[in-house]
Amino acid sequence: MSYDVVMKNEQQEGEKLTVSRRWLLLYAGVAFNGLVGLALATPVIRYLLSPVKRDAAYKSWITLGPVADFPLGETRLATFINPFRKPWDGETAGVTCYVRRIAAAQFQVFAVNCAHLGCPVRWFPQSQLFMCPCHGGAYYADGARASGPPERGLFTYDYKISDGQLQIHAGQMPTLSNTAKLVTIGNVKGKSQCTG
Amino acid sequence: MMPPPILVSAACVFILLLSGCNDAPGYPKTSAEVLRPQDQLSFDILYRQNCSACHGADGQNGAAIDLGNPEYQALVDDRSLRKWISGGMPGTQMPAFAISMGGTLTDSQIDAIVLGMRNTWSQRAVLGGRNAPPYAQDQKGDALRGKEQYNTDCASCHRASKQQVTSPDYLALVSDQALRSIIIAGRPDIGHPDWRGDKPGSPLSAQDVTDIVAYLGSSRSATPGQPYRRDR
Amino acid sequence: MHRIKEIYKWLEARLQLEGPLKDAALHPVPRNTASWWYVFGSAAFTLLFLQIVTGILLALVYVPSAGEAWSSLNVLNHQLELGWFLRAMHGWGSNFMVAVVLVHMAQVFMFGSYKYPRELTWVLGVFLLLMTLGMAFTGQVLRFDQDAYWGLGIGASITSRIPIVGGSLVHLLLGGPIIAGATLSRFFALHVFVVPGSMLLFASLHVWMVLKLGINEWPMPGRIVRRSTYLQEYHDLTHKEGAPFVPVAFWKDVIFSGAVIAAVAVCAFVFGPYGPSGQPDPNIVQTVPKPDFFFLWIYAALAYLPPSMETPFILIAPVIGIAILLGLPFYASEGEKSWYRRPVAVIVLCTVAISWGVLTHLATFTPWSPHMNAWSGDPVPPRYLHDATPLVRQGAVVFQSKQCRNCHAVGGVGGQRGPTLDSIATRMTEDQMIRQVLQGGGNMPAYGKNLPPPEVTALVTFLETLHPPNEPPAVDGSQKEVQTSQIVASSGSKK
Repeated sequence: MSYDVVMKNEQQEGEKLTVSRRWLLLYAGVAFNGLVGLALATPVIRYLLSPVKRDAAYKSWITLGPVADFPLGETRLATFINPFRKPWDGETAGVTCYVRRIAAAQFQVFAVNCAHLGCPVRWFPQSQLFMCPCHGGAYYADGARASGPPERGLFTYDYKISDGQLQIHAGQMPTLSNTAKLVTIGNVKGKSQCTG
Repeated sequence: MMPPPILVSAACVFILLLSGCNDAPGYPKTSAEVLRPQDQLSFDILYRQNCSACHGADGQNGAAIDLGNPEYQALVDDRSLRKWISGGMPGTQMPAFAISMGGTLTDSQIDAIVLGMRNTWSQRAVLGGRNAPPYAQDQKGDALRGKEQYNTDCASCHRASKQQVTSPDYLALVSDQALRSIIIAGRPDIGHPDWRGDKPGSPLSAQDVTDIVAYLGSSRSATPGQPYRRDR
Repeated sequence: MHRIKEIYKWLEARLQLEGPLKDAALHPVPRNTASWWYVFGSAAFTLLFLQIVTGILLALVYVPSAGEAWSSLNVLNHQLELGWFLRAMHGWGSNFMVAVVLVHMAQVFMFGSYKYPRELTWVLGVFLLLMTLGMAFTGQVLRFDQDAYWGLGIGASITSRIPIVGGSLVHLLLGGPIIAGATLSRFFALHVFVVPGSMLLFASLHVWMVLKLGINEWPMPGRIVRRSTYLQEYHDLTHKEGAPFVPVAFWKDVIFSGAVIAAVAVCAFVFGPYGPSGQPDPNIVQTVPKPDFFFLWIYAALAYLPPSMETPFILIAPVIGIAILLGLPFYASEGEKSWYRRPVAVIVLCTVAISWGVLTHLATFTPWSPHMNAWSGDPVPPRYLHDATPLVRQGAVVFQSKQCRNCHAVGGVGGQRGPTLDSIATRMTEDQMIRQVLQGGGNMPAYGKNLPPPEVTALVTFLETLHPPNEPPAVDGSQKEVQTSQIVASSGSKK
């Protein structure tokens, strides 16, 4: 073994010592950053998840108008402003629904969204049908499925009448996963007890 | 043949000019900016979207009455037109179009339709002061007299089973007013004469029209629409 | 000239980019890869930069607020000098980018390029494809019109079908309970920051790997990929008979990229920008939402699935599809590359391409959707009415006013959801028609409660007239008997 090599070995050993101390400091630095990151993660995740709320938190009673606005035996379009409106929502703060007045104090309030994929259904009083322009879902006057791809009838809102005003319990876009309720009339797979 | 540098620079200039051009086929027309459905006030578009299916393109050759008939336009007043469009015509298939009645049209859109029909199809003095019977029924009708009148003035054509109008199935779907309008204004697009008839010189009087309508009305059935009727 | 050289030297002394760039440009590639088949990847990369540039230019004006976005798009279209052209460039650039990425993927698949050692390049490519589609969808949302609004509704409805977490995911997607300002803001962030940022990163890695691992050689039947020998074989291929990438292969990339950009510009110039269609106002229900071209096939698939299959299909099929794409290079990392020896691959590609084409074609004329204005806007052909009896005319009125036309075409116009009725009388007897109208069935609603008897009679009388002149209408055997007995009875009663 020559002198050179011995020198090199000693040098390496010396470096090993110093390096391991520096590595320790680096590890500490990384760990410190990890801790800071963890501390930051919670606020970030909570911030990101802030729109996720229970359905009840997104719903409130909304007035659609005087009961007298809705003629007996007819289905009419009604609009309201989403209770969680922000100033920059513009037109999208509006929501549309269909109000069907069955008797003096008996109503059905349907969401405009098709139960299939949420497109806006249109009411045709002549044939007493709701038709969806997207994939051709059709519903009878009572909201029961008539034909097409929807698996169920139209979504309905809960309603109540107070001081002669029709109010509905609404606030979020009805989808299959949230509180929008099933129209529980007959067998929704086609045999409707349509009263239209 | 131009030398290449000139050719290249000519192409460059051409492309630069072309790319700055505002007259491109793809340039979106200002008129193409989308109107809200309720802001649409063009008669042509409103008529095409809402009326033409039954009343025919250009107001004739449709299944329902030909709005393009100048005599009909002369006969009917604005108020009635507006009423039928807004609220539908009872006793017929004419649906209500006003938003307040469950339709989709605003009052100004209905006004635009009425005005548009007048501008497009009205011809001044088409009735020629020949005192046509009034649009609305103003007297009481006599069904028995109406039957005679029908046999003299209508039956020559309507006797044939092909043009049967006394069938209760048909009568269940038309109102007295609709019958009256057709008798007075005729339907030139399908060859139905107006109140002056095909015999020149012997027009129907207002009373005649009312009586014929009363006769047809008396032929209505309480249970129309039975299958296998032989008189269709 | 001397001055320029001086400046270059000064810069190079500090940047030291010459070496790596020269290496990248002059690295040897297999000679037969200097082919027009190898130009799609670079074209996609070029398009990405075109989209970034045009996107930044649009962002100078666009207002990402639900209340203002639609108006700002109209300002771009109509009031800013050539704003319409930049919108058109960005829109058509997006179309071309999706198309070029798909073609690139098909080519790579056919050439077996995903095999060892380029598995990771393929995997990154799959993510790049997904991000490209994500950009197309989020871009459609930023064009905040009726289609965008209801497209979001469709997205939310699909998301809501995910079990358990569906509702929460809808809230996350929309940024709240309904589609509104918060929704547009988060899609803006996705479209402008998150996805393009990741795309740049992924695309750079993708290209880096192509440079480091070398471009895939032209597949030869019988030249089999083996992990143990491939690297040596490829090295020999490139170094013995290869050619420098620049300019032998690169000139084709350059020309094709230029051609693609020119094509985008021509399309933008001729066809103009997309939309915006109507105002994003949920109170306008007179709307017929439709997705952009590259999502039409999903729209069609969703219309044709039986209801019971729908949720499983929507939720499971994409997962399986992506898993297959990601797993492909690991499942088949060795073996033949040539399409002559990979019949299954060829069949799969053809099947996918044909299915995609058919579904897209179907979705362009939506035979499953009612035509919402047909009942009031499409006249009955005058030839069916000119010699008709009054009752038949009334039947035609009933046919229109009860919205039958929305689903049934007559004279080639009307909805195509139900059968065309031009010769219905030859297919159904009067009784069958009455039954069908009253009870519905076969995906037709029942009209029993909504049509009084005279309307049914008139309607069926009208339908009875719909047959070709040389083909008589179908008649029930029993009808004749009923009529005969009626005649007998009436003649009997007269006596």
